[in-house]
Amino acid sequence: MSADPNKLGIFVTSPQHMRHVLGVTQAAVRVGMKAAVFFTFKAVHLAKTPEFVKLANLCDIKDLSICAASYQCEGYDVEDVPKGITGKQMATQAYHGVLLEECGKYLVL
Amino acid sequence: MSFTMYFLLPNRSYAGDGTRSTLGQSVENHFAFAVYMYGEYPPFNEYNVGNIEWTRDMEGDVFNLGGDPPDVEDLELTPITIEELGERMRDADFIIPYGLPKAAAPPPDTCG
Amino acid sequence: MSDEKMKILHVYRSEPTDDVKKLVEILNRDRDAKEFSLYMGDPNYDILVQMIREADKTVSWW
Repeated sequence: MSADPNKLGIFVTSPQHMRHVLGVTQAAVRVGMKAAVFFTFKAVHLAKTPEFVKLANLCDIKDLSICAASYQCEGYDVEDVPKGITGKQMATQAYHGVLLEECGKYLVL
Repeated sequence: MSFTMYFLLPNRSYAGDGTRSTLGQSVENHFAFAVYMYGEYPPFNEYNVGNIEWTRDMEGDVFNLGGDPPDVEDLELTPITIEELGERMRDADFIIPYGLPKAAAPPPDTCG
Repeated sequence: MSDEKMKILHVYRSEPTDDVKKLVEILNRDRDAKEFSLYMGDPNYDILVQMIREADKTVSWW
């Protein structure tokens, strides 16, 4: 499967840029792009912010995930699914691979 | 399709997970490389050393940019200069500056 | 191979260090390079997305 040039993958590795994650995603959607976002390691704390629900409303279910292992490493119970997503969106690093392969554009935040 | 990618790790707090993330792409059959920068190493415990070895088994590598070689038995990181890294990354599909930049000061003792 | 130069975009989440500047210099050689700063003021995300769309490759530095 070739990457979609109209799809922006965002790999969130920093816990301090939720403003940018939401701002870039909103801008992408405004121009008709799809956005796929994956939060890993300490960035999973951002899934507990009010902005995360806004982000979830902008992405298809299959296009938003957080790393379940990171979430547990950071002290959360994996059953405590963040608002805006479902348990199916608690993923592994393989989701990052999916994002790399499906998204024609890619940004690390 | 296999991609070539570099995970750049200049902060000790993110070096271990960055290594795990590198391995995550190695096992997806990509050519994944981790770069520890400025001696900001993860704890070289069995888990992290195992991830380094596994990444290398999958045709990736783990580099040391600008740090003293870690004194860990049977672990040798591949030294690299900033110029060599830049030249290698010209051919990369993805460059991933991971986590946070290097902190200005070493961690206090309270970090454990 | 196409004669067209690769379009590379550098996004800065904080002020670039000397090493980042050195890496950017090497990556930009013989390429059509642009930059966007996220750390100064309120970024215009519409412009950033447009620049990402136009670029062949985007590198987002810490």
